[in-house]
Amino acid sequence: MNEYFRKYKNLMMLTVFIGATIIALIPLFGVLGYVVKNGLSALNLQFFVNLPKAMGLPGGGMANAIAGTLIMVLIASALGIPIGILAAIYLTEYDRHSWLSTGVRFATDVLTGIPSIIVGIVIYTAVVLRMGNFSALAGGLSLAVIMIPLIIRSTEEMLKLVSHSIREAGFALGISKAKTILKIVLPTAAKGIITGAMLAVARVAGETAPLLFTALGNQYWSRSLNEPTASLPVQIFQYATSPYKEWHQLAWAGSLVLILMVITLNLVARYAFRSRSI
Amino acid sequence: MFRKKGRLLAHVLTAVLMLSFVGCGEKNPGTPTGQGQAETANLTGSGSSFVYPLLNQQIEEYRKGNSNITINYQSSGSGAGIKQVSEQTIDFGATDGPMTDEQLKATKGGQLLHIPLTLGAVAVTYNVPNAPKELKIAPTVLADIFLGKITNWNDQQIANDNPGVSLPDSKITVAHRSDGSGTTYIFSDYLSSISPEWLSKVGKGTSLNWPAGLGGKGNAGVAGVIQQTSGSIGYLELAYAVQNNLPYAMMKNKEGKWVPPSLQTTSAAAAAATIPDDMRVSIVNAPGADAYPIAGFSWALIYKDQTDKAKGTALVNFINWSIHDGQALSEGLHYAKLPASLVSREEEMLKSITFQGEPLIK
Repeated sequence: MNEYFRKYKNLMMLTVFIGATIIALIPLFGVLGYVVKNGLSALNLQFFVNLPKAMGLPGGGMANAIAGTLIMVLIASALGIPIGILAAIYLTEYDRHSWLSTGVRFATDVLTGIPSIIVGIVIYTAVVLRMGNFSALAGGLSLAVIMIPLIIRSTEEMLKLVSHSIREAGFALGISKAKTILKIVLPTAAKGIITGAMLAVARVAGETAPLLFTALGNQYWSRSLNEPTASLPVQIFQYATSPYKEWHQLAWAGSLVLILMVITLNLVARYAFRSRSI
Repeated sequence: MFRKKGRLLAHVLTAVLMLSFVGCGEKNPGTPTGQGQAETANLTGSGSSFVYPLLNQQIEEYRKGNSNITINYQSSGSGAGIKQVSEQTIDFGATDGPMTDEQLKATKGGQLLHIPLTLGAVAVTYNVPNAPKELKIAPTVLADIFLGKITNWNDQQIANDNPGVSLPDSKITVAHRSDGSGTTYIFSDYLSSISPEWLSKVGKGTSLNWPAGLGGKGNAGVAGVIQQTSGSIGYLELAYAVQNNLPYAMMKNKEGKWVPPSLQTTSAAAAAATIPDDMRVSIVNAPGADAYPIAGFSWALIYKDQTDKAKGTALVNFINWSIHDGQALSEGLHYAKLPASLVSREEEMLKSITFQGEPLIK
């Protein structure tokens, strides 16, 4: 009896776990499938090489928005990833318990929860108003502000996982603290840190709200980083809220491209760093 | 291994970055095509999402003859347009609700002009099984429905205006905008003008304390609520009602005539309304036999004193084109044309725009 009960219990729990996994995957594949179904028909070569066209004209694309998103995400990464990782190293390796690190940790937690439109408005007031115009720089900066707390938190967690005995082994061999961090701690945690950074990049690549107030958008190519710049999320938003079916189609295609960009980024990161793990 | 892969990643990233910059260089639209025209100018505008599809198409058409001018207009919402033009982070704004006196006083660049670009109608749409198209809904009935006082489609007050139509015993669900919007402004402006009770209880504005109903985000959201809810009634910009094949009600205008929302009846409302010199006017419940009562303007917001001659000239020329030749594009996109009497007054306004005291067009 007891034996059957155990088997029965095991089967029950297994079913619950599998069920939960499937339920968790439904929205993911549902969204992906829906976007592919609606976006694929509007996707063609023109979409990638042409500028947006006015309502009703065929052959409109989002080339400038794709480039704009890439450029702003690159600016954000160039600012956000080093600052985030360096700050996390300071918090874990140099200063775990002082008032400064407690304060920084608290601020990071608060920042992660702030709606992204507020970041947009802050950058608008601090940068756009002073420079007098919207720009890719301001857009990239607002994305970086959103990235930094995410990266600090994920990197910190990864560095904490690196066993203390590994650091002590380094010190015992007479290696300096800086060398220990650079050559032993960071490589050990590299995979996790990269994954955290990639998740942050993926998160900001889809942000619309902060870009409305900083990069604005552009129906043409921007000639410099100091001009209003198009981005996929903003272009999708403008098309999706219009009354016309043709534009809805383009918005679907744009969503598909955005999702594919994020997936590709993740796959590249995984492939590039797959040989190392904790 | 780690380093090699790292380098590979770096190469990929560099390639992507370079490609995107090469792209910028090639497609640069800055070269004039020998029209012997004035200097190049890059204008940035933002604001009303209502006027975005029209402006977008007008700009494309205008640039066919003026490739030295680039005009970037983004739909960030009327509120954002007002804020940005006041702070001079853009060259011109566009809005569906006129700026208030306080807002006009707070501008950084002096006097802002409101120049009507186009007209919009707000259609009252519904989803009632077996109901005909162009149901007749009287002003007081409309107000009572949105106040939550008339709650069933078989109410005698609705039936009175629709003889021969049998409406079902079905609960009325009111659909309205949950976000701030120019459409809500025009609609509530109308209800305030015909119902003292609405004026005192709810009032007019871009977002309201609704006495009844379900909210939807954006015109698209409200259209969705109406399509999915049997027995619903709501208000949409005409273009959304037409594009979604929703039936819309006929409204009784000031002269007591039943009028459907259409481009002609909307233009008629603007033609019959008394419009002050600064153009900041509401044209709801306008006089005129053909005037549709729930209509409003979309205005361009332009500084009277321009600070850059090339930009100012380009802007004034474009707006001048937009209110004349550009109006030909309106109807294909379900926008109403500006009445001719108004266009000539707008011309005078454009002539009053100056750079260092000199008018930019004659």
